[in-house]
Amino acid sequence: MALVKANPPGIPAVGDGKPTPDGPASGLPPLIETGPSVEDLLAALDAEESTTRRSAARALATHPEAAMALCDRVEIERSPSVRVVLFTTLIRLQSPEIAARLAGLLRSEDVALRNGAIEALQEMPAAVAPSLRALLADPDSDVRLFAVNILGALCHESAPEWLVEVIASEPHVNVCAAAVDALAEVGRPEAVPALQALRARFPDEPFMTFAIDTAVRRIEGR
Amino acid sequence: MVDPARSVQPPPPPPLTDEEYAKFCEFFYRKTGIQFQDNKKYYVERRLVERMTKTGSSCFRDYFTMVRFQVSGEELQSLVNTMTVNETYFFREDYQFVALVEGMLPELVRGRSPRQPLRLWSVPCSSGEEPYSIALSILERWDQADHWDIEIHASDIDSRILAEAQAGVFGARSLSRVPRQYLEKYFVSLGDGSYRICDDLRQSIDFSLVNIVDPVQAKRFRDVDVIFCRNLLIYFDDVGRRETVETLYEILVPGGYVCLGHSESMSRMTSLFVPRKFGDTIVYQKPQEKAP
Repeated sequence: MALVKANPPGIPAVGDGKPTPDGPASGLPPLIETGPSVEDLLAALDAEESTTRRSAARALATHPEAAMALCDRVEIERSPSVRVVLFTTLIRLQSPEIAARLAGLLRSEDVALRNGAIEALQEMPAAVAPSLRALLADPDSDVRLFAVNILGALCHESAPEWLVEVIASEPHVNVCAAAVDALAEVGRPEAVPALQALRARFPDEPFMTFAIDTAVRRIEGR
Repeated sequence: MVDPARSVQPPPPPPLTDEEYAKFCEFFYRKTGIQFQDNKKYYVERRLVERMTKTGSSCFRDYFTMVRFQVSGEELQSLVNTMTVNETYFFREDYQFVALVEGMLPELVRGRSPRQPLRLWSVPCSSGEEPYSIALSILERWDQADHWDIEIHASDIDSRILAEAQAGVFGARSLSRVPRQYLEKYFVSLGDGSYRICDDLRQSIDFSLVNIVDPVQAKRFRDVDVIFCRNLLIYFDDVGRRETVETLYEILVPGGYVCLGHSESMSRMTSLFVPRKFGDTIVYQKPQEKAP
């Protein structure tokens, strides 16, 4: 037969320690391990092997004191898989300080890094909230656009309200259009007057008229 | 004559307050990665009351203290067993087994040394239908099966359902999609409409009790070629999903595959994997990473 029952290195068989109806199976290693120290893990973030760096990044998820070092690392990390794990750990450790550091990456020219930061910020609604006002007022319209992208997917009760504020005052047509798209998804009826008013600010943009019509229709459930 | 002392049942435990429910959900999430929303309160409460009654706990506080501090972890395991859903059947989402034998396995063995075994992992394996379906698909539908050593590992967090999987006895509903010739070749009728899978097949699968969100337990798996992880991640929150797929990434060989349930999409969770289309299904491949 082609099928072989094997107990490959590192995989203890449960065959002899059969799972009992209500008890844990024997053969499992103890759940508590003495792991490496924070210092060792931080040093491992600079290791040559990406596997070692990923493993360290993952293990640091229980060490809030490592947050700023993880933020430093994500800025210079070249391996996409290590970056992903660094972002996940930062989401797990989320704090306003971490969000502020990640918000800085919205200016990065590295698209993957920037997108990773946007996705991570979308996963930390309470932590990113204090940074959002500054991002929405940033002199760079690209940064404001990314901030609107974050808002559109943010599970925060104030997100629809902030999007309404964007369309009331934002001068850049692309940022407004992104906010209208986001409102089509998360907007409430209170947003409709602001959406109608926006029409008058960009009368020569047929796309904007179309986007506003769509958003209003969705909000009103038509 | 009825002994009045014996006929008196203890009163049922009082219902959970919202705070107790939230406290329990937070604890259960930390231990298992499984998240219950407010709309699941009835489901959770009913099962909690069942366990509280069985253990003779008079209130949630007593029961919760026992679950948290019991050295053996036995009651936590019982709780996990009762909270998890194990509904499945043979050849569920069959197109993925077709993709396995027609697409993934032929690609994985290209240029591989015959001494290197193929390693597949079904997690969660529930009552065993999935790992046995994998085994049957390989034996019956892959013409290269005899040329390779193929290991099938199957794990679940629920010890009771794992014991059922190892016993390998299945009823009519579970077997409804098993072709007649497979039934005759690989099963033994028990005469009551149920069938037991043959000993050779039962003994060829390595069953183990594993909590995939526990890094120490997950770390035991290495160099797996294909992971079937279907309809598990839907129970996790966003960050739990990310962490779990990162665990799967570490466990896979470069070029290995993950098969998810039809309602799950890896691209909504992480950019670590590359989607690959085989026939009617999309599976997710761990790329060969270039940078160290």
